[in-house]
Parts: sequence; structure tokens; C-alpha cells
Amino acid sequence: MTASPSLIAQGAPPARHERRFGWAWLGVVPFLVFAVAFLVLPTVYLLVNSLTDSAGNPTLGNYAHLSEPNLADAYWASIEISLVTAIGGGIFGFLLAYAVIAGGLPSFLRSALTTFCGVASNFAGVPLALAFTFTLGASGILTPFIKALGLSLNIYSKTSLELAYLYFQFPLMVLIIAPAIDGLKRDWREAAENMGASSFQYWRHVAFPILLPSLLGTIILLFGNAFGAQATAYQLSGGTINIVTIAITRQIRGDVANDPGVGYALAIGMVVIMGVSIAAYTFLQRRSERWLR
Amino acid sequence: MTSKRTMARAFSLVAGLALVVGACTSGGGGAGASGGAASLPGVQQSLIDAAKGEGNLTTIALPRSWCNYGEVIDGFTSKFGIKINGLNPDGGSKDEVEAIKANKDNKGPAAPDVIDVGLSFGPDAKGQDLLQPYKVAGWASIPDSNKDPDGFWYGDYYGVLSFEVNTNAVKNVPADWSDLLKPEYKGQVALAGDPTASNQAISGVWAAGIANGGSLDNAQPGLTYFKQLNDAGNFVPIIAKTANVASGDAPIRIAWTYNALADKDSLKGNPPITVVVPKSGRFGGVYVQGISKFAPHPNAAKLWMEWLYSDEGQNLWLKGYCNPIRYDDLVKRGVVNKDAQAKLPDTTGALLPTLDQITKATDVISKGWPTTVNVTVK
Amino acid sequence: MSGRAPGALETIGASPPPRRRRPGSLVWWIVFILGFLYFFLPLLGTFAFSMRSQPLFSAYAVVVDDPQFARTLLYSFVVGLITILVSIVLIVPTAYWVRLRLPRLRPYIEFITLLPFVIPPIILVFGLLRSYSGGPLPLAGSDTGSDVLLVAAYVVLSFPYMYRAVDTGLRSIDVRSLTEASQSLGAGWFTILVRVIFPNLRVSLLSGAFLTLAIVVGEFTIATFLGRPAFGPYISLLGGNKAYEPAAVSLISFGLTWIAMGVIGLVGRGSRSRIQVAGAH
Repeated sequence: MTASPSLIAQGAPPARHERRFGWAWLGVVPFLVFAVAFLVLPTVYLLVNSLTDSAGNPTLGNYAHLSEPNLADAYWASIEISLVTAIGGGIFGFLLAYAVIAGGLPSFLRSALTTFCGVASNFAGVPLALAFTFTLGASGILTPFIKALGLSLNIYSKTSLELAYLYFQFPLMVLIIAPAIDGLKRDWREAAENMGASSFQYWRHVAFPILLPSLLGTIILLFGNAFGAQATAYQLSGGTINIVTIAITRQIRGDVANDPGVGYALAIGMVVIMGVSIAAYTFLQRRSERWLR
Repeated sequence: MTSKRTMARAFSLVAGLALVVGACTSGGGGAGASGGAASLPGVQQSLIDAAKGEGNLTTIALPRSWCNYGEVIDGFTSKFGIKINGLNPDGGSKDEVEAIKANKDNKGPAAPDVIDVGLSFGPDAKGQDLLQPYKVAGWASIPDSNKDPDGFWYGDYYGVLSFEVNTNAVKNVPADWSDLLKPEYKGQVALAGDPTASNQAISGVWAAGIANGGSLDNAQPGLTYFKQLNDAGNFVPIIAKTANVASGDAPIRIAWTYNALADKDSLKGNPPITVVVPKSGRFGGVYVQGISKFAPHPNAAKLWMEWLYSDEGQNLWLKGYCNPIRYDDLVKRGVVNKDAQAKLPDTTGALLPTLDQITKATDVISKGWPTTVNVTVK
Repeated sequence: MSGRAPGALETIGASPPPRRRRPGSLVWWIVFILGFLYFFLPLLGTFAFSMRSQPLFSAYAVVVDDPQFARTLLYSFVVGLITILVSIVLIVPTAYWVRLRLPRLRPYIEFITLLPFVIPPIILVFGLLRSYSGGPLPLAGSDTGSDVLLVAAYVVLSFPYMYRAVDTGLRSIDVRSLTEASQSLGAGWFTILVRVIFPNLRVSLLSGAFLTLAIVVGEFTIATFLGRPAFGPYISLLGGNKAYEPAAVSLISFGLTWIAMGVIGLVGRGSRSRIQVAGAH
């Protein structure tokens, strides 16, 4: 690829000797400064405190606690719930988004759904937990129907929690994937059909590969979203479902004088898991992007 | 250009909203300072003037419905004209201590002046050098077992654990802990908090234990009891809020009397609530007050304490169904609010643990809970 | 790379031909109805519960009776709008540069933007208080400074959503060709960003804006520990020992926030001009 003359004329570094991080860095500096000032600083404080014991002396002891079965289970449970709701939320969220954007439904439904999803994306915590009990609980509006069908539902189980989590996972998927669906050009579908491709073939060979990087990106977002969620689970389970965020809350909040250092170590553990997830996702995404070129 | 038009629209939207907010907030009235002599018996006028000069007080973790704090706060503001900013009404004791620590160098609106915490946190905060001492006018009438001799922390009120029962959903009101194990209460009994983090919930477990072979020195039977309750299917593993009681999802809630009675008043019979102090296993919990060493408004904080411990303040807590710490003194001098006194449930025989007992039991219950009563249902 | 750049810019300002929509197939209607039921029923349940208050609708009277409701909700809306603007200004150039020139940096930037998920908000707020309490930048020491801290914290919370929304949007347009085309017409970086990239990110920015506003209106921990008169703390003050009022308030705030988003959507829609670069991708 040759640089056009106008690029050089504007003072952009010449392609040949391009010091890659010359001017380009400036573009991300404001963001980085902001992130350091208001995000990295508290994270550092978190890290430092996780390496301190209750007397204020440096220690690795807090991390030793993480191998306890109780806490290790908490991590697995968190990862499981987050994966299930990320993938489940991703699939149906995508379907829902596609339905209103390209599925031929009346166009006002798109803006209605999009704005609704905006609000629902943060409908979590106590109001969501209560809404679920008002729907499926002892005097819930659906409960008589469920009983009539002879089923019984335990609304305090992990599965019910996952069902509740989807309430904010679906909307997140819908909102984020919308531009990607918009980007699926009409002509491609028509071109595919003109060449005799079936719907399935269109999806498999055209739409899905194009969407895959965006889908992966959104699913990792849903994963993080569920991973960090705490209030809904706490309210719906009274803390009896063992996930990391609740374990952290126990250590650093409440009325029991626990050792907050363990709580901080748990949080750093979450940061590490997030890092690993991003590495895995980046790898997957690079592979998927190669298919596009 | 489209984007300029959009930007213009966006900015006018923000500007318009900012104007509206400005209008609303400036229009609202703050509490007017009382013109006449605002005074409290035994309190120097210089303190009152200094406090008024500061003009603000920052509190933390004081829900308005807890012990009638709403009236206590409003009474303070209307009497002295000092505005109260309440942080984190849902907070636990640790939040309050952490908030003091995080705001050591801060004199802004986020720094709490005073705290109201569980008994064990008084000495804990003192040990971390987070409090400043102050002895209120009525200091002598606070029982010794509930105050720090140097004046760093002091008990304020206590309550007793009770069953808050929604009588629409529960026909046969239980009278004691052993009743709760009966099959007729399947899926109906809940705690008001998480026993690994909440004072109220831990006390609930402890009290159940005392009624079943435990004691102030032995909280383990409480865990055994709740395991039984859970195995029988009677225990509902949620943090039961008033809404859960009213909806029938947790029609029997184990909570402090003052919370249960406040719910009863607030729901006004919709649904009807009966508050039962169990026959055995009567257990009380004391909370303590303290002034932050780094309080931005130290004089307002001291005046607040004087207000809380004045006869008037103590009676307001009594109105909220809490037993104020100077209750016996109030009764002796005949200044207790008779109506409020009449509404107090009978709590004779309630045990109040010491600091050491609390520390030990809290440890046993909070650590034992996850393994004893664990919901791993898929 | 195809070199059809010169013709592309002529389409700026022209709306694309209207989509000939194929009639919605049954499958998509079923999907939509399922989604509708899933979202609607819990809200209906909440509404049914709030209807139990006596007298009827008394739980909703709190909106009319309590001036604090409107005051705190407006405060949160304004903070939300400012947060959205700051977030957009920070994220869009970053995502753009990362996509265009600094792809190696992407995982690290993404890690930073996803950090807010795993930092508990209480740690964030205490960390901010400690850092900005004394010293060179005592933001926490004043009301206005605390407002700034609040916006800053919320911008941080919005990072994951805003970045992902913008990134997805950038993927769907051919950034490279657009940039080169604009440059060949003599546009500088600022012009490219503001007049070429931004308009094409309309849908993404709206999504990001909605998500951010929802977070700000619903957020509680940071606002309350900073002592700010926001909507989240107001709701928790209301909660206390009431059963029906919290249900009513959560429905009302749901509805009002929905309306606010509708307004933002209207403002943001403008004219749907998209720049098509034929043959690209």
C-alpha cells in the first residue's frame, strides 16, 4: 500500500521510516491520563492493600487464602454463571436485535426496543431481585400457572439467578451488536440469494464470519458484566450462593470484623481472570478476523 | 452540518436540564433555623453556637426508619438549624469505619462526622485511632458495661430479636424458636441479613442457638438449628426485606423488634403484622456511637451527641421501639414517654452479650455458616 | 486496496435509498414476542405488587409529594449527560486510533476498559477519596469537586460499554478507507474525527449513551459515599421499612429513564447519512 501524496503533505510520518508510535500515541493520551487518574490509582491502592495484612505489614498471606476450597469454589461458580449468561444472553440477544433491525418487523419496534434495552441494561440488584420474586415467588403472577402445570421452581437456585441475570444481559447484547447488524449490507444478502445460496448458507459463509469478531467482543463484555455483578445475587440468595463478588463483599463490608486483605486479594484474582479472558478472546478474535481479509 | 446541529441540540438539552435543576434546588427550602433559644439541659451555649456556625453534620448508615431516626434527624435540624447529610443509609458498621479511614485528609461532604456501629466496632475503631473522646451531659447514667471509660464510644440503644409475622400468610403465629421447625412453616422463615456479614442476622442465629442448648458463650447450636431449619425446607435463603414479608415470600422474618414494629406501623395492616418476642432465646444487641477523629464538623458532632442522649432524644428513640441506653434513668426520673413505653413489647429476660462474647460468637457463626447452611441447589 | 475514494465523499449528506424490507418472517416475530414476554412479565409483577398498596396508587403518590424525587432524578440525569459527553470525547478517538494505527495496543486498552467490571465500586470510591483528599488536587474537599469526582467515576464505569459500542461500530464501517479518502481531500485529524467518523457512529454512540445513562441513574454506592444528592441514594433512603413504595418508585424511574432515552434518541438521530465506500471491505 502506497501512501498518497496528501498524507505526506500533512506531516504524517513517511510510510517507510514510520516510527509507529510517533504521532499516533497522542490520540490515546487523554484516555490514558484519565484512566490512570481515576481508574489505575484506585486499582493500585487495591493491589497494595491486598499485599498488606491487618497490622499493616507486607505479606502474601492473603493470596494463600485463595486456594481454600470455599473461595476456589466461588471463582468457579462466578465463571460458570458468567459464561452461561454471556453465551445465553449473547445468543438470544443477538436474535432479538436481528429481529427488530433486519427481521422485517415494523421500524418503530426497533427504537422502542433499543431505548427499553437502555433502561433494562441496568435493571439489576434489589429491584430486579424483587421483580423476580413478584413474578415467580410465593405470590408471583406466574406462580399459579406454574403450579397448574405441575412444575415447581426454586427461585433461589443458581439457575434462577442466571435467569435473572439475563434481564440485563439481553439488553446489553442488543445495544452493542446493533451497529454490526446494521453493517450487514443488504446487497450481500441479495447477492448471495442471486447466487442460489440458501438462508443457512448465507449465514454460515457470509453473515456469521463477518459478525464473529463483534460477537466475540460483545460476549466478553457480557462475561465481564456478569462476573462483576453482585447486588442481584446477594439479594436473591441471601449470600448463600457462593460467588466471588459476594465473598469480597463479606470481607470488606458488613458488620463482621473480617480480614479485608483477603477481600482485596480476591478482587485482584478477579482482575487476573479478566486479563486471562481478554487474552483468550484476543486470540480468538485475531483468528476470526483473518477469515475476513 | 449535521453533527454541529446534533451537538447544538445536545448542548441545549444539557443546558436546559441544568437550568431546571438549578431552579428546583434553589427553590427548595432548607429547614429554617429556630429563632428562639435553642438549648439542651446541661449543654453549654458556646457549644451550640459553635455547632450552628458549622451549619452541617455528616452522618452515615442511618436509615430514617431505624429507631425513628427520621424524627431524631428532623428534630435536630429544626431545633438548631443544622443540616444533616446522610451517607449510605444501608451501610454496615464496616462501611462506616472504612469511610472514616478513607476520608482522613478530607474535610469535604464525603467525610462522616459521627458513626453508629455494632458494639464490637467501638473498641475496634478506637484501636485504629479513628475516634475522638467526648462525654455527654448525661454520661453518668449510661451503664458502665456499655461505654468506653475514656469516652471514645458509648452505647446508644438496644433491641431484642423477634419474629415479624405476616398474619395473612401465616395462620398460626409461632411463639418460640422451636415452633419455627414445624412443617406448617415450610418455606416461610427468613433472616433479615446475611449471617456472614450482618449483625442482625448473626444475632438471629445466636439467639436461636441459645434457645436450643447454647449460651452466650456457645453459639454453635445456632448453626445446628439453622441447618435443621434449612433441611426441613422451612428456611428461605434471602435477605428478607419488608417487601418480601408483605408479598408472602418471607412471611416470618427474624429481625430486631424495632424494625419489625416499624414495618408494622408502616404497612398499616396491609398486610397485618404481628410481632412476637420468642419465649426463649431472648437476645438483645447494643449499638454504639462515636465521633470521628477527623470530623469536619466536630462541634456539630458533639451537639448531635448531646441531642441523642438528651431526654428528648432518648424518648424519640423509644418512640421508634428501641430501648434507649438511658432508659432506666428516664423511668426513674419519670420523664419517659409513657405512650411509647406502653408500646414496647415485653422483653424481660433478654440477654445482652459482652464484647468478648460477641467477638467469639461472630467468628463462629460467620465462619461456620457457609459450610453448615449452604445452598448449592442447581 | 480499492481506490474508489474520490466518488465516495459525494455521497456525504445524501441519505441511502430506503430499505426494501422483506415482510417479517414468523421466526422473527416469535423471537420478538418471547423477548417481550421475558422483559414485560417481571415489570408487570412489580406493578401488580405496587397495586396492593391501600389506598390504590398511594405508593405512586410519593412522586408527587416528595420534591426530593424530582430533584435527585434531575441531578442524576444531568450528571449522566455530562458523563456521556466526556466518555464519548475520551473513547472515540482512542478506539479510532487503536483500530487504525495501534492494533498492538488493543488488548491492553481493552483490559483497561474492562477493569471497572472487576473493581468493586466501594473500592473505587474509597480509592478516589484517598487519592483526592489532600495533596495537589483536593477534589473531595468541596461540593463541586465531589461532583467532578462523581462524573469521573461514572466515566470510568462507562468505559466497558462505551468502548465496546464504539469498537463494534468502527468495525462495521471501513475506517481505513474513510480516513484515506478524507485525507486525500485535505482533511486533518480533527476534521476526520468530527465530520466523518462521528456521524457514522451514530448507532454506537446512542447505545453507549443509553447504557451510560442507565448506569448513572441507577448507581448508588459511589454517589452515596461521595455524599452527592443523586437518585440512587434517594431510593435507598426511601426503601427502609416500606413495601410498596420501592416497587412503585422503581417502575416510575424505569419509565422516566426510558422517556429520557427516547429524547436522547431523537436528538441523536438527525439525518441518517452514512458514507458508503463502494467495493471496500
